[in-house]
Amino acid sequence: MASETSAAPSLFLRNATGLVKGWSGFDAFGYSFMSVNLVTLGMFYSLAVFAYVPTASPVLSIVLAAIAVTFLAIAYSGLIAAMPRAGGDYIWQSRVLDGIPGILTGAVVGGVASFLVANAVGTGEPLNYALGVVGIVVGGLIGRLNGGIGFILAATGWWFILAMWAPIYGAILKLEFFQPIAALLKSPDGVSFFGSDNGTLVVSIITIALTSLLVALGMAGYARIQRWCLWAGLIGFAIMVVLMAISSQADFKVAFDRASENLFGVAGAYDKTIADAAANDAFTGSLDPLAMGDDLGATVSATLAMIPFMLFWILYPNWGSTLYGEVRGSGDFRKVLRGMLGGIWVTAVLAIVFVLLAANTFGWLFFNATNVNFINWFYGYTTTDPTVPVWSYPPLLASYLVDNSIFQIGMIVLFGAWFLGWSGTLFLSSTRMIFAAAFDRILPEHAAQVSERRAVPIMALLYIMIPAIVVSVLYSYSADFRALTLDATLVIAVTFLGSSVAATILPWYKPQIFDNSPVAHLKLVISGSGLIISVILAWVIYLWLSDPLYGIGVGNTNSIIFLGVVYGAAAVVYVAARLIRRSQGIDLDAIHAEIPAE
Amino acid sequence: MRIFFATDVHGSEVCWRKFLNAAKFHKADVLIMGGDMTGKAMVPIVAIDGGWEVTLQEQRTTLSTEDEVREIEKRISDRGYYPIRLDRDEIEAWSADPSLVDARFKTEMLGAVERWMALADERLAGSGIRCVVSPANDDMFEIDPIIERASIVELGEANTIELDGFTLVSTGWANPTPWNTYRELPEPELRERIDGLVASVPDPHRAIFNFHAPPYGSNLDNAPKLDADMHYVSGGQALIPVGSKAVRESILAYGPALSLHGHIHEGKGAVTIGSTLAVNPGSSYEDGVLQAAIVDLDAKKGTVKRYLLING
Repeated sequence: MASETSAAPSLFLRNATGLVKGWSGFDAFGYSFMSVNLVTLGMFYSLAVFAYVPTASPVLSIVLAAIAVTFLAIAYSGLIAAMPRAGGDYIWQSRVLDGIPGILTGAVVGGVASFLVANAVGTGEPLNYALGVVGIVVGGLIGRLNGGIGFILAATGWWFILAMWAPIYGAILKLEFFQPIAALLKSPDGVSFFGSDNGTLVVSIITIALTSLLVALGMAGYARIQRWCLWAGLIGFAIMVVLMAISSQADFKVAFDRASENLFGVAGAYDKTIADAAANDAFTGSLDPLAMGDDLGATVSATLAMIPFMLFWILYPNWGSTLYGEVRGSGDFRKVLRGMLGGIWVTAVLAIVFVLLAANTFGWLFFNATNVNFINWFYGYTTTDPTVPVWSYPPLLASYLVDNSIFQIGMIVLFGAWFLGWSGTLFLSSTRMIFAAAFDRILPEHAAQVSERRAVPIMALLYIMIPAIVVSVLYSYSADFRALTLDATLVIAVTFLGSSVAATILPWYKPQIFDNSPVAHLKLVISGSGLIISVILAWVIYLWLSDPLYGIGVGNTNSIIFLGVVYGAAAVVYVAARLIRRSQGIDLDAIHAEIPAE
Repeated sequence: MRIFFATDVHGSEVCWRKFLNAAKFHKADVLIMGGDMTGKAMVPIVAIDGGWEVTLQEQRTTLSTEDEVREIEKRISDRGYYPIRLDRDEIEAWSADPSLVDARFKTEMLGAVERWMALADERLAGSGIRCVVSPANDDMFEIDPIIERASIVELGEANTIELDGFTLVSTGWANPTPWNTYRELPEPELRERIDGLVASVPDPHRAIFNFHAPPYGSNLDNAPKLDADMHYVSGGQALIPVGSKAVRESILAYGPALSLHGHIHEGKGAVTIGSTLAVNPGSSYEDGVLQAAIVDLDAKKGTVKRYLLING
């Protein structure tokens, strides 16, 4: 038997429900592009923290992160093609990570979590290991149950941790919209309010209300908004690029000093920011975007250390990982993959353009100084106020180049499209996970109910809104909690790691599924990509948990306890559901038990 | 009484075989197939010099032995497609004359249903397990008499069937779709049809509706939005309700204990509408996975005791 890829499928179709002509690859790209959001995630965090690894190569770190995530895109495209309507990490992991893989995955997650929590709360060395063993056993037992580890990894990544993303989105909205607008309107009270803990909470609540409203609107309505936002955001970005390209660093320095004095009463703000960062934030500069330093080995090593920061932004090209429809071929795999790769690489190229322009126009020293100067204060690493009271949001900086407040406000509003076009997916993702858990009887039936008139998933929204509000309060009033921002990415990375492992073993462990799929001929490509991204994610998770650079690992008791609560809560929910359902005569093992055909 | 309900297997041999074994596996008393049993595609296995050639999922394979051909035929059948052996002349003739394709489709669909009924009779004989099959909008009318002739399987469409104190009422007719399939009715006529069926039910609260179309706006009917050219809008991310308002209104009007649905493969779920539990187990027939609902009914109280949606 010999196989090759055919240019034209030989298939006769009849007229039947569900057969469609296809879908636009551009739509897939747009969804991925907005998920790997250059402005709301990239500029807000990943592209603002180069100063924390000053010897890393900025451009190389972007490229390496994009290469790493490319393997994620291949693995996920394979899962989507092999199990299309299953539609997501929960089902993929539940179907694939059973038996020995489920036990092993559960044991690793349980063991690591238990050991780290025991270590963080200071139980002492023998007990640490004993609790780690208990975690291995409990995790292994949960992993042995059909769907157990799938629920824990998916519920933490697609539900629980999204509660933490709500105030992070709130912080983004505050720093990228409300504070700049207040500043440009010359409202010191507004700047002060939005800079306060109360302001953070208010914007978080606004964010929660907005994202809930977008869920209520439904994806069909939101998709239209997203499309407009994509174009509006790109127009804004193009204006920023042009402004930065045609302006010199001297022009910018004059513009920044003028705006800072005019808006905040800070004279000589450009030089003062650099001096303050050096004095208060231990700022020593950062390698130029294209430079590789004198010691190539050290630069590469430092650049690798930047990847865990980069993933905060570029890890999510697969956010809309569902494919509908039938009678599909591997052409859809390619289309899904192209959409994700477009999202990754177009964004990566734009990020590089932005970084180069920032170095050219803002000045690389200033750009990194102003970021570290604000970030250290915002996350509570220092108590010294930043030189200017609002974050140097790049579109705001670029807008200063035109000395016109209407134009400046227009730029901020236009860039708001990057937020509006992306934020609706936050609760949409979690409500889908909640529905799936309710259909699998892990959550009560009411979790999947929709309202009579507009089919709004009110209870599912409450399941995410209530924890989101609680976490928003913590985030708003505790800088220590704000410093756990990278935990929000870590938990999602663990979920993605579960699916990456599933993609790695799927062709070999569940050949009846994979060999019957349109990507059966891509066994090595998908499994190999799954393996590579599994190793990368495991390594990044190890760095997050072990290296004090990231601030969320073993040196941060709050972070470890927070992670322990997240995973512990998922395990408790699952075990409780099993016990309750058993008392009701419902066997949850039956959900994934394969019925023999013969 | 335990019901095992699956739907929309669309010609998948492996799903049908799992369906027939499901009663023993899950200790069900009644099997109900909600319709859309027939496949949507035929895959030609073309005779070439010294063997055969087939393109499945854009992957062209050359086959040299009968065993290889049978193996690929099984793969094709398990996905829900009909494998057909043709020579190049026939392929050309089919390309020129769509009526030849239609005729062969009919032969394949009816032949498959005949085989499936025979297999059901063979596997379920003497088991005491009841099996109700109700064709739906994608199934041509000619399959109804084939089901009716089966000895174990009971035809659901337009019949009322007593099940341990409950009355099963079935229809595979659906509200209009963009594909203009066999059994579609405008909403008012669909409501009339449902009213006519329910009129013969002694106690509507003890009814089990087996209506292929899910109720409108129930979350069981969310399907990707299509544009006028039948392309997905927003890369398939934009879901809209496409269910039947007549079905929803009739559930609210009659308040059956249980309402079973299919039609929208992406619409897996269970919701309560009024006092009725409505379920759509969804379908992943192409993966060879039998999605289904297991529902335990309390004959004394006339209510649903428990349910579970499974991927078997």
